[in-house]
Formats: sequence, C-alpha cells, structure tokens
Amino acid sequence: MKKILVLLLSIMISMTCLFANGQSEITMKKALDDKAPVTIQFWHAMSGSRIELIQGIVDNFMAENPNITVEVQYAGSYNDTLNKVKSAYKAGNAPAVFHSYEIGTLGMINSGLISPIDELAIKYGEEIDWDNFFVPVQSYYKYQGQHYSMPFNSSTPLLFYNKTLFEKAGLDANNPPETYAEVVAAAKALKASGIDTPVTWNLHGWYFEEMIALQDAPFANNDNGRGKELPTEVLFNGPAGKKVLDWWVGMYNDGLFNDVGPGWDNHRAAFSSGTAAIALSSSSDVNLFTKALNDKGWELGTGFIPHPEGSTGGVAIGGGTLWITNNLTQEQELAAVKLEKFIANDDSQKAWHKGTGYFPVTKSAMDSLENEGWFVENPNYKTAFDQLLVSPGTLNSSGSLLGVFPETRAIIQSAIQECYQGKDTQVALDEAAKKVNDLITEWNEVIQL
Amino acid sequence: MKQSVFPSKFLPYLLLLPTFLVLTTFLFYPAFETFRLSFYKVNPYTGANKFAGLYNFKKLFQNADYGHSFVISIIFCLLVVVLGLILSLALALLLNQNIKGAKVYRTLMIWPYALSPAIAGALFNFLFNPANGIVCFFTGHYDWMTQGFSAFIVVALAATWKNMGYNIVFYLTALRNVPADSLEAAAIDGAGPFKRFSKITFAFISPTTFFLLVMNTTYSYFASFGLIDVLTEGGPVDSTNILIYQLYKDFFVNSRIGYAAAESLVLFCIVVLLTVVQFKTTGKKVHYQ
Repeated sequence: MKKILVLLLSIMISMTCLFANGQSEITMKKALDDKAPVTIQFWHAMSGSRIELIQGIVDNFMAENPNITVEVQYAGSYNDTLNKVKSAYKAGNAPAVFHSYEIGTLGMINSGLISPIDELAIKYGEEIDWDNFFVPVQSYYKYQGQHYSMPFNSSTPLLFYNKTLFEKAGLDANNPPETYAEVVAAAKALKASGIDTPVTWNLHGWYFEEMIALQDAPFANNDNGRGKELPTEVLFNGPAGKKVLDWWVGMYNDGLFNDVGPGWDNHRAAFSSGTAAIALSSSSDVNLFTKALNDKGWELGTGFIPHPEGSTGGVAIGGGTLWITNNLTQEQELAAVKLEKFIANDDSQKAWHKGTGYFPVTKSAMDSLENEGWFVENPNYKTAFDQLLVSPGTLNSSGSLLGVFPETRAIIQSAIQECYQGKDTQVALDEAAKKVNDLITEWNEVIQL
Repeated sequence: MKQSVFPSKFLPYLLLLPTFLVLTTFLFYPAFETFRLSFYKVNPYTGANKFAGLYNFKKLFQNADYGHSFVISIIFCLLVVVLGLILSLALALLLNQNIKGAKVYRTLMIWPYALSPAIAGALFNFLFNPANGIVCFFTGHYDWMTQGFSAFIVVALAATWKNMGYNIVFYLTALRNVPADSLEAAAIDGAGPFKRFSKITFAFISPTTFFLLVMNTTYSYFASFGLIDVLTEGGPVDSTNILIYQLYKDFFVNSRIGYAAAESLVLFCIVVLLTVVQFKTTGKKVHYQ
C-alpha cells in the first residue's frame, strides 16, 4: 500500500513537472510581449543620399511600430560593415540587422553569426510570401531550401547605349545589339562613324559571372556552390568562360573596346561624354545615365546583357541583403523580422527604387509601379525587370555561391588584364581557376574550425 | 643636465604606467597576436583557430605572386625614397631663397601632405584616368593606368608627391639651421655655390636626410595602400600590387587572417632589417653638431 502510494505520488510529481514545463513554455511565449519597448541596431552599407532614404524607410517603420526603436548606422562599404559586425559580435554587441553583399552569402551562412530569416519568420508566425518575390531574387538567397536573408537592394548589369550616336552611325536606335556578334557589328559601325573605342565597361568580375550564367553554365561545382557539400572547385574555365573572354578580349584587340580599369567612375565618364556609345553597368545607373545623356541632348537606350547566339540561361541578381544576428533577445528577433519585412514591402521598395534605381524585389511593388504609369515615363527602368522575368531560375542563373568570392573576382580581373596583354584566354582562365581552387580548399578547412 | 631623483622606487613606474598601458593595448598586444596567429589557421568569422606550424609561411613563399610583390615593393620604395628626397631637397632650397611671396609658396608646397591618400589618389585619377584624364587628353595616350609599367610609375609619383610636403618641412627647418657664418667663410675662401652646398649645407642637413630616409622607407612600405586602392586596385596584372596592399586585401577583404598575419610579420622583418642596415651604413656617415 505504502509502495503504491509512493509510486502514485512520484507519478503525480513527475506529471506536475511535465505539465509545469509545458505551461512555462506557453507562458514564455505569452511573455514575449510584442508591444514592449525594444531597441535594435541596423547597420547598412549605403552611402550618400541613400543614408537619408534608408532612414526615411526606418522612420516610417517606427511610426507604424511605436514600441520599436531602430538605431540606423551607416557602417561603410560592405566589407567595412562585415568587418565591423565580426568584431562587434566577438565583443557581444553586434547589430540585430546588418547589410551584406550577395557574394558574401555562403560565408554568412557558414559564419555561425546569423539566424536564417525563414527560421525566425516561422518561429514568430511572421510569414513571408516568397512567391511574391522575383524568382532570381529569392532563389539567389535560398540555400538548401531555406531563405537565409531578406533581399533588399537588387540590381543586375544592363547594356546601355547612346541612341543618338547609334542613329548617326546608321544603326537601328530601337534595337539594341543582343548577341556577341551583334555587339561587334554595332561597334564596327560606330567606329566607322568616328567613335574611336565605342564599347566600354569597367574591369569587374561581376560581368564575367553574369555572362557565364547567361549561358546556363555553372561557375562552381556542387550545384554551382548550392549543393549539400561545399563547392570544392570552380568551373569558370570551361567553354562558357572562354567564349566570354574570347569575345570581350577580342573587341579589345580589335580596338573596339576601351579598357578603363577597375572602379565605377571611368566607364561612366566615358559613356556620359560620348567617347563610348555602348557600355555595361549596373541597372542602378539608369538615373545617372539618363541625366548625363539628356544634358548633352542625347537619348539613352537600354538592353539586355549580350549573350552568345543560341544561349538559354538567365541573369543572376547582384546587390545586398539584410541579415539577422543570432544572439538577440526574443523581442529583438521579432522586431528585426518585422523591420526586414517592412523594408521589403511595396511602399518601401517603391521609394527605394525611385530614389536609387535599384529595382524593387517584389512583383506586387512592380505591378503597383506599372499602374502608376512609372514605366511609361521611365521606360529604361523596365529593361532590368524584363531581363529578370526571362531568367529561368535554374541553379546556374540563381548565381554561384563561393566562400572566397572577393578574391575570385580579383583573380579573374587580373586574368582578364593578362589577356589584354596578349595571354591566351584558356591559359589565363586555367591559371586563375587553379589559384581559386587552392583558396577554396583552405577556406573549406578553416570555415569548419 | 641634472638627473631627476625620485623619492620612491615605484613612482617612476607609476608615472610610466599610462604610456605603458596604451602601448600594450595598441602596440604590443596586437603585435604579439599577429606573431601568434601567423602560425595558425583561423576561421574568418568566429576566430576559432588551429595550430598550423609554418603552413602560412610555406603558402606565402610558394606563391609566385608574393615574390613578384616583394620585388616591386623594393623598386617602389627606392623610387619613392630617392625621388622624394631629391625633389624635396631641391624645392626646399628654392623655398629657402629670399624671394617675394616665399611664405605663400611654402604653404602651398606643404599642402599635399594634408590630403588623405584617398583624395590624393582621386586627384591623380583625375589626371590619368583612361576615360577622360587631363594628362591623357594632352598626351593622346589613354592607357597610363592600364599598362603595367606606366601605372607603376604614376602610383610611385603619386606616393612621392603625397609625402613631399612632409620632407619639405623638415628640410626647410634643417636649411634654416645651417650657420650662415660657415657659408660666408666658405664663400670668402672662394667656394662656389655648388661646392658650398655639397661640402657645407649637405653636411649640416645630413641628420635630417637620414631621418627622412628612414621615415620615407617606412612610408613607402606601409602608408601607400590608400593611393593604390583608389588608383589601380593593385593592377594591371599585379603591377602595382605592393606588399602592403596585398596584406590589406588579404586581411580586410579576403579575411585570410593567419596568412595575413604571416605577411605582416614578413613585412615587419623587412622594414626592421632595412632600418638596421640604414643605421649601420648611412647612419655612421651622418654628421651631428
């Protein structure tokens, strides 16, 4: 009898414990008061007039959520921001939300500093309608079926051409060249009309990456860096990469292409002053070029990034996303998710688009712009969307993920310069790939420490 | 001079403490960490690390690009130091003449030193950029910055120009301290202006020259990455990729912490070695008053 009593009692006690546990979990969730005042930090990497633009969006957010205070900070370039976040994280005062570039994605995923946005959205019941995002936008930041960060400023390269100078050279100003051969033909006609080096763009690995994606070829192994295993080698030295450089360097050798070096000022200056009539640049330069050409009484045209005849791939997006760090209180996490959702909503994205030229990341924002008649007034803004919409969203056109992307770009840029100096494109690409592969081996080891 | 006597044995140490704390925090500790990390493989995000022996140094010395950087850094340093000192001395001599508006000229000459490397880089970009550089326009050559050799020369010139204000200030002060009576005596003895300069003035300013030699060497090795970042990003094909720029990229952009620590240790050794050599050779010839 006594034994049974003891047994019963112990069962009761353990039951109570279980129940109490369950209850405490419920109360904990209830204790997350989404009206309690909370402060979070938001560090971004957008300079100049964009600082005020972001502050404006955040001010609207705070007006809508009076309990949340967001301290916005411009933290320098993407690299500076990332370095500051890393140091701050070690010191225990990392920002809740920070801004990083697309090529840092694989690094961030493996950094141990962040929580995936999808995980937090589910945890707090703050669903995100990913179907509303453009396919190339959301597929870039989706890794192993999960979205890791919130798309923010997105752009793609775009072909810019000077309609007035096209007409002078006897070219059809309403049909921009689309294929490699058409660009060369147009360049020759422009050269004959008196423009010494009619084609230019800055020395940047981004164009090379996009031109490989446009041929639906992978840039790295293991599903373009998106597979279960980390990528172990790059594939840009395959036929697609060679095709790109043969065309690009070929134009240089034929005196059609002006090598203006790295950076973002020189090719803009060359195109704005009419010393070049065809340029590649970021789609966020539409504003700048429209104004620059208007000042001279010229008209700007835009087209898709050129591709070889018969290629089937699509453009991958570039730009930056917003990440959430993983050592926050629950209130801060919720506030961070709400903030990111707010920045991706239609009003914020439309304001961002109009102010910067980056395109909105969602279909509904674009529809709303279309209904406003925005594209009738600004037809060149539409080209970037059209280019996005035809991108198929395959692994190759989702963009490649690599942990060593900044170095990879530098190495490719150096290889292209070697080709300008006369090196064989295949040899240059093979040597570059070997250098990158060495770095990947090292990165794969240290990232798992 | 009267030697200070402290009443307590500990007081001098107490007085030294603040300086020592600052030095420890900002100099000794980072230097020690750099030394330590150069023997480790380091996770760029968490800082987790693993002892790797001489792995980073092996990588470094097996890398042909690093050897190239090594050589061009020496050439860069020679150019910046030799050109910088000769031009600065020549200008300082001119500025030391009694001419109208000398003060204005002096101020203008010192100006470049007040500019940040990034602004200096932007100015040279304005002159030499391949799209619409002014020098390009007048020379008809648009490839100054896209050809390795000329890009290297332009960067070296920019670095020289940037530091000239600093050199001129020191040379001007030194020239002011050359005793006029010595020069006068030499003139009476029939020494021409060149002889007076080489035998007297140059001897009197030799401590300054030596000081500037050391400072300019350090400057050319450590302080020119801002210029390079703005002008060439190390290109074309690594032709301006001197050690300090590669180091900056490897640490701040590529986050290869162990490797960058090894690079920084090597760079540190080079500069220490150069300075010691300078003290042992040139330093002995310096005439102090």
